[in-house]
Amino acid sequence: MTVTSATGTNRIVRPRRVVRSGEGKWAWLLVGVVAAVLLVWEAAVSWLQLVPAAFLPPPTEIIAAFVRLLGEPEFWQAFVYSMQNLLIGLALAIVVGVVVGLAVGWSPVLRFTVAPFLWLLYSTPKVALAPLFILILGLGNESKIALVFLLAVFPIILNTMEGAVTVSPSLVSAGRVFGVNGVYLGWKVIFPATLPYSLSGIQRGAALGFTGEVLGEFLGGTGGLGHLLEFAAYQFMMAEAIALVIVMVIIANLTLWLISTLRRRLAPWYDDRKIVGAS
Amino acid sequence: MTTTIEPAEDEASVSSLISVRGLGVSYDVARTGKKLVAIEGVDLDVREGEFVTVLGPSGCGKTTFMNVIAGLVKPSAGQVLVAGEPVTGPGPDRAVVFQDYALLPWRTVFDNVKFGLEMQKGLKGDGWRDRVQEAIELVGLSGFEHSYPRELSGGMQQRVGLARAIVAEPRILLMDEPLGAVDALTREVMRAEIEKLIAATGKTVLFITHSIEEAILLGDRIVVFKSHPGAIKEVIETGLARPRSERSIQSDPRFLELRDHLWDALQGEATAAAVSK
Ligand SMILES: Nc1ncnc2c1ncn2[C@@H]1O[C@H](COP(=O)(O)OP(=O)(O)OP(=O)(O)O)[C@@H](O)[C@H]1O
Ligand SMILES: [Mg+2]
Repeated sequence: MTVTSATGTNRIVRPRRVVRSGEGKWAWLLVGVVAAVLLVWEAAVSWLQLVPAAFLPPPTEIIAAFVRLLGEPEFWQAFVYSMQNLLIGLALAIVVGVVVGLAVGWSPVLRFTVAPFLWLLYSTPKVALAPLFILILGLGNESKIALVFLLAVFPIILNTMEGAVTVSPSLVSAGRVFGVNGVYLGWKVIFPATLPYSLSGIQRGAALGFTGEVLGEFLGGTGGLGHLLEFAAYQFMMAEAIALVIVMVIIANLTLWLISTLRRRLAPWYDDRKIVGAS
Repeated sequence: MTTTIEPAEDEASVSSLISVRGLGVSYDVARTGKKLVAIEGVDLDVREGEFVTVLGPSGCGKTTFMNVIAGLVKPSAGQVLVAGEPVTGPGPDRAVVFQDYALLPWRTVFDNVKFGLEMQKGLKGDGWRDRVQEAIELVGLSGFEHSYPRELSGGMQQRVGLARAIVAEPRILLMDEPLGAVDALTREVMRAEIEKLIAATGKTVLFITHSIEEAILLGDRIVVFKSHPGAIKEVIETGLARPRSERSIQSDPRFLELRDHLWDALQGEATAAAVSK
């Protein structure tokens, strides 16, 4: 579903639950397709030698590189470095994003004055700012955290904002009738009604934030998985480079899974078929 | 028997709990930029302990009228006094049963009912648990304390809304079609419960309904609304003895007389509304 914003036709992703029915069948199909691709790949590189292994290493070599990687302390150092920056940047983005999103969504004045700029910033390719960040904040953690924050905060703000706008007026009326006012109204009515939207924004923010972290390390860093990847690529260690990319894919997906689990735990009442509060 | 359907006498002189004076509400319709007059020139006085039912065609401004008394909608003309004080916003002396339930979807039945208490008198001590439980039992929802609203039927959700409104024992109960989504049998039980509750606690009630029978069965007085613009068409004293049971009252000549009268009044309204469209 899409919501048209005050400024135009930007899309907002409504919180969505994983499709469950028939999932198993498709999972097997997916496994089959992946296995077939890997087999063709292995055959093309190792047996038929259609592509030089130096450019495109076969799956077996990548798996070997992957296992080797997991045994290296250097890898784990990089892992901790990346995750630390990601978590700090994301935590900042969540706090700022939810508070700003609620305020802008709830206050008509802010919505008409601030929201257009938020959409503008959201649609700016912030990745292009990465070199600037590194120039200003240096090669250390600060520039990475700033990038994570910058990329993650907008989806969180905008989703929270749209959630706050769609809170049913009758819930607000109910709150007022039963004596809930001011900050309490925000805490007891607006915030919980908006939570599924915020979590959905956080999910997208986390994915974007991780991209920011890796990009920052790649462009100019002294540590982290992106730095390792850059090193492997320049050394022409293709198997290592691909193994690192796989690690990143796994991390990104684990993060997404973690947040959607969190959403189910925090908002068990949320039913996708209904917009919150429209009962 | 002579015809006794006459306008109820003006109660303004007697000290009334709710007093509505020249009330008008118009909404700004953002889409067209025009003003929509929802209600106009409404006067009404409600005594303490009185049960007033409000009857009228759909869209005639019943909810709007009640929202002004609740303090949710600002009047554009006239004013509402509750216990002599002008209404400036919602207050703990008035609770509302909403037409669209307005339950908090992230709270269980128990916690939704608790919502009616938590800001008003605080949750000091442990007595509040019993009160919440009592209210839930009263509306016949024992066993569903831990269900979420979306797991309940419309009628059940409506009853949660009712429990939430009565749990804090407000002086005035404003009920907007509280039995609208309830099946006939439950409706009968709930109606009796509401009547008993009101009789026992002496609450003042404003009760909106679409049902002529319900309006007669519950009301001390019936306020009939007309539409375009919404205004009071007439106010009728029911003059039926309490307690009333649906079965015994069906044969009461006064009941039949009132019913016919209200039928005619509403039918005229419905036709007028259809013609003016
Ligand atoms: N928030 C609003 N903004 C604009 N117009 C409104 C608003 N609320 C109600 N109205 C209009 O005011 C009129 C009266 O509405 P109201 O909800 O009070 O009617 P009602 O008598 O309660 O109807 P029903 O029996 O169907 O519930 C309607 O014409 C409606 O379109
Ligand atoms: Mg209504």
